[in-house]
Amino acid sequence: MHKVLSLKNVSYAYPSSEQNAVTNVSIDIEAGKIYSIAGINGSGKTTLGLIMRGFIPKIYHGQLSGEIRYNGKEMSTQSMDVLCQEIGYVFQNPFTQMSAAKDTVFEEVAFALENLGVNPEEIKDRVTGTIRLLDIENLKDKNPMELSGGQKQKVAIASVVVMNPNVLILDEPTSQLDPVATKEIFEIIKLLKQRGTTVILIEHKLEQIAEYTDELIIMEGSELLVAGDTKSVLETTEYSQSSLEYPKYYELYKALNDESIEPFYTLEGMSTAIGGKDE
Amino acid sequence: MENKKSLYPTTKFWMLLFMFITIALVPGYKYQYAILPLVLILALFSGVIKQVTLNFLRSTFILCIVIFLMQGIFYPGETILFSVGFIDVYQEGIMMSLSLTSKIVAISSLVILFFATTKIKDIVFSLEKMGLSPKATYVILSTLQIIPALSAKSETIMEAQSSRGMETEGNILVRLKTLLPVFTPLVLSSLEATEERVLTLEARAFSSTAKRTQIYTVEKRAIDYILAAVAIIAIILFFVLRGGL
Repeated sequence: MHKVLSLKNVSYAYPSSEQNAVTNVSIDIEAGKIYSIAGINGSGKTTLGLIMRGFIPKIYHGQLSGEIRYNGKEMSTQSMDVLCQEIGYVFQNPFTQMSAAKDTVFEEVAFALENLGVNPEEIKDRVTGTIRLLDIENLKDKNPMELSGGQKQKVAIASVVVMNPNVLILDEPTSQLDPVATKEIFEIIKLLKQRGTTVILIEHKLEQIAEYTDELIIMEGSELLVAGDTKSVLETTEYSQSSLEYPKYYELYKALNDESIEPFYTLEGMSTAIGGKDE
Repeated sequence: MENKKSLYPTTKFWMLLFMFITIALVPGYKYQYAILPLVLILALFSGVIKQVTLNFLRSTFILCIVIFLMQGIFYPGETILFSVGFIDVYQEGIMMSLSLTSKIVAISSLVILFFATTKIKDIVFSLEKMGLSPKATYVILSTLQIIPALSAKSETIMEAQSSRGMETEGNILVRLKTLLPVFTPLVLSSLEATEERVLTLEARAFSSTAKRTQIYTVEKRAIDYILAAVAIIAIILFFVLRGGL
């Protein structure tokens, strides 16, 4: 499969710090998949996202080493205009993501395209399409600053999706949202995958993301601990030694497959239905 | 996405400029006071009479009353108009008050009407058309939008602090003491939000080198050209006639 992003031996330290926030990370991101970068706070997952987007070193300076390629080209040679359109980034806090310069959601979503100098008629078509895709047509005339957190986060995603990026990085997009809004955001992520967008989700709530994730990247203490498809990562010894907990359903799955655990009672046929081994 | 009803902001600007010049230079107070009913009639037709009246009463009216009292009592004069107890009110003081307040009333009512009938984004659009950088216009717009959000945040901080036992009600000294625990988290959280907002703007191509387009536009119509020309001619005529008199 085509590699959209490729990191080789990447290390980075923020200007104010002598310690690396990311150490010697090598990973390939393949097109059309949903990746989740998980890790406890301070593990370097957000910094890795900022590197993948090119905010490091274009906005955050500091010590960056290693090789970062987007579609085979060195990331540092790409202009910010190109990166904006190719790699979208949605942040954690829905309240700071509104431009605060627009007084309707429609105009807010159009903001990026205006900055890129897109023809106004095309802007209107693309904004209308994006608003419809994300099912936020009911918000289009509302003031973005007066929306709820969940609504703001949807508008923030729409404001980036409208640029039709190849890769979309979302940094803990549901951390400040209620369960209903969280579910809606994940449904949007699934929808974007169906459209062929490569999604990189930075998240520590494995419970929620494992269902949607194709590939899991586990960060621990600034290093990439383990990466691969979700099931195989959860089965590694590296994961078992990490600071992250297992998702509840994975524990259940393990328990159901653990022959040493005696069941309280069995119903004939039931264990077969759930994949048990007492045929 | 076009504002077709309102006059173009610069048209209003030329008309205001003419009014401000005449208000400042026409002697006396009758002309200046006559502007207030004119403003109210225009506000009535524009559907903003309530907003204009309330803003006028809240700001200018109280100020004018204070000026009248201070000038009437303390302005040195010779002709006593009337006395209240030991206080003499002089005719010169009243005349000075009329002259001063008439200008304040006229200018402030026009400014209030201008902002009641002109969207900030219309003003910003016209400023951008005149060559002001999008970064500068963004600062104007975002500042105006963020003020209510900051106000709401300060109330939340105030409630959080009072729930921890901080006194928020009481005399001026008590209220002054609340400033530090409210403003410190407000300023710090705002600074933190600024960093993320910068990245958000960058994620939306704010620093793009492309020539910016806009879906919201305000078009100049024939009436705008006519009224702007009339205002400019009126300004020139005013100075010519005034110089000739």
